[in-house]
Amino acid sequence: MSLLDLFEESASRFPEKTALEDRSGSISYSSLSRAVETFGKGLFQQGISKGQRVAILLGNSIQYVISYLGVMKSGAAAVPLNTDNTEKNIRYILETCRPSALVTSKRFAKRYGLGETEDISLILADEDSTCMSSKVVTLPEPDPQDLACIIYTSGTTGRPKGVMLSHENIEANTRSIISYLNLGPGDSIVAVLPFFYSYGSSILHTHLAVGASIYIEDNFIYPNKVLERMSREQTTGFAGVPSTFAMLLYRSNFSKLDWPHLRYVTQAGGAMAPATARQLKEVLPKTELFIMYGQTEATARLSYLEPGMFLEKPGSVGKAIPGVELRVVDKDGKEVMPGETGEIIARGKNIMLGYWGQPEETAKILRDGWLHTGDLATVDHEGFIYIKSRKSELIKSGAHRISPREIEDVILELDSVSEVAVVGQPDRILGERIVAFVVPRDNAGIDKKELLRHCRKNLASFKVPHKIEETDGLPKTSSGKIKKYLLK
Amino acid sequence: MSQVREQIREFIVENFLMGEDSDDLKDDSSFLEEGIIDSTGVLELVEFLEDTFEIKVDDEELIPENLDSINNLCTYLEKKRK
Repeated sequence: MSLLDLFEESASRFPEKTALEDRSGSISYSSLSRAVETFGKGLFQQGISKGQRVAILLGNSIQYVISYLGVMKSGAAAVPLNTDNTEKNIRYILETCRPSALVTSKRFAKRYGLGETEDISLILADEDSTCMSSKVVTLPEPDPQDLACIIYTSGTTGRPKGVMLSHENIEANTRSIISYLNLGPGDSIVAVLPFFYSYGSSILHTHLAVGASIYIEDNFIYPNKVLERMSREQTTGFAGVPSTFAMLLYRSNFSKLDWPHLRYVTQAGGAMAPATARQLKEVLPKTELFIMYGQTEATARLSYLEPGMFLEKPGSVGKAIPGVELRVVDKDGKEVMPGETGEIIARGKNIMLGYWGQPEETAKILRDGWLHTGDLATVDHEGFIYIKSRKSELIKSGAHRISPREIEDVILELDSVSEVAVVGQPDRILGERIVAFVVPRDNAGIDKKELLRHCRKNLASFKVPHKIEETDGLPKTSSGKIKKYLLK
Repeated sequence: MSQVREQIREFIVENFLMGEDSDDLKDDSSFLEEGIIDSTGVLELVEFLEDTFEIKVDDEELIPENLDSINNLCTYLEKKRK
């Protein structure tokens, strides 16, 4: 079984039901299934199949889903790309991942200066029909261990890392999430998280697997628009990251409205502040609130806190999801005692195959059959896990994981800068805001405007620092390492 | 009002278009459709409106009809400052 089989099962059980709805309209399960098949066959007839990859650069939309599942249907692996990106990053991924084709739209092709090359054929999803085929061809059945998709995440070195997920990985995690959220065909959701990240992608997978409906809002810029849609469609679920809930509570009409149809909400991507959790519970007295934890390297999900437990266990991310083993271990790999801090390690069918083209990086975190998450945590007497910090220094801002190193490298390109340290500081809406501490090269100081302009030119917009602090020097250890924790 | 329009344009160009006054930014260009502003950007825009024009943007007013183009912003400000 694969995600495709689960989706096909939904299509045969609920052919007329709405699978997806976006700005362009809605599509039923049977029509979506036909469109996916046609897209897959079109790619297959262009010679794209097992062992190859197809990149997708599209916002959340019906077309995205057709392309994503269609690529898998052809036997190839889908490589969804972050649409809020820089040309440099996109080129880096295309050069190292070497996809046979890139599915995108005219708008993104223009924005990122993408054209047909010898190695990559460009498929414009909004107008191209060359990849559509209804001819009779037999598509290959995927093996569970075959590569299904590669999701790029921020690497600590500043270069994105491609997380390779197999069909088995996706199927295992999808089934597990469905079981603890108790998802079924009666469920529906307004999806605001991008499908190119693992959390958004898990929403897509689980809903298509059970025959539920997804209403796509391709961004969360105007929360009131999203709320209107949730109300109109009487959706049963909602999924967000800490900043989503902060926006809902502090910058929208959310608390002024009633939500009797909302059966559950989920949060991943960072702990929920106890105050936010309490406020959320006041607005949603009957809705189940799931706090969850995961990593792209684990397809999406690793643990969840049972609804109703979050007042009793504030700040906890709960326990392992079905089919996953979690341990918190010390440097020697021994499980820590309650209250002691250690690293979370994980085992299960959802753990990735490795990083694309980076065997050394893979070997560092996949050891002895366990994924070493880099997240530091404690466990209480009842086995509930509390995340303390990340071993790596990635900043969590909004739905994004951001490498400070990438931002520092860009700032250091300026002649006026001698040293820089970028950290995440607590922020009510974003979770963390990006702050750059900059040491000027000479007495002339720093032109903050120029610095920001340089960042905007060379970084994706969500990576541009929110604040620049000029300083005479940075706090350092005796070995010269910057003590970033003093800057947070 | 033309001064207000200029101030808004300058803010958008300086903060979201890397300081380059792109020809693509028409007075009725949708920030959303053109990918000019993301959700953090909207918060920055609100902060700018509140500071510059000494108004309070209410939660109900955070909708594209008010904020999604230079024209919409001008109309919204005009209403707000009456």
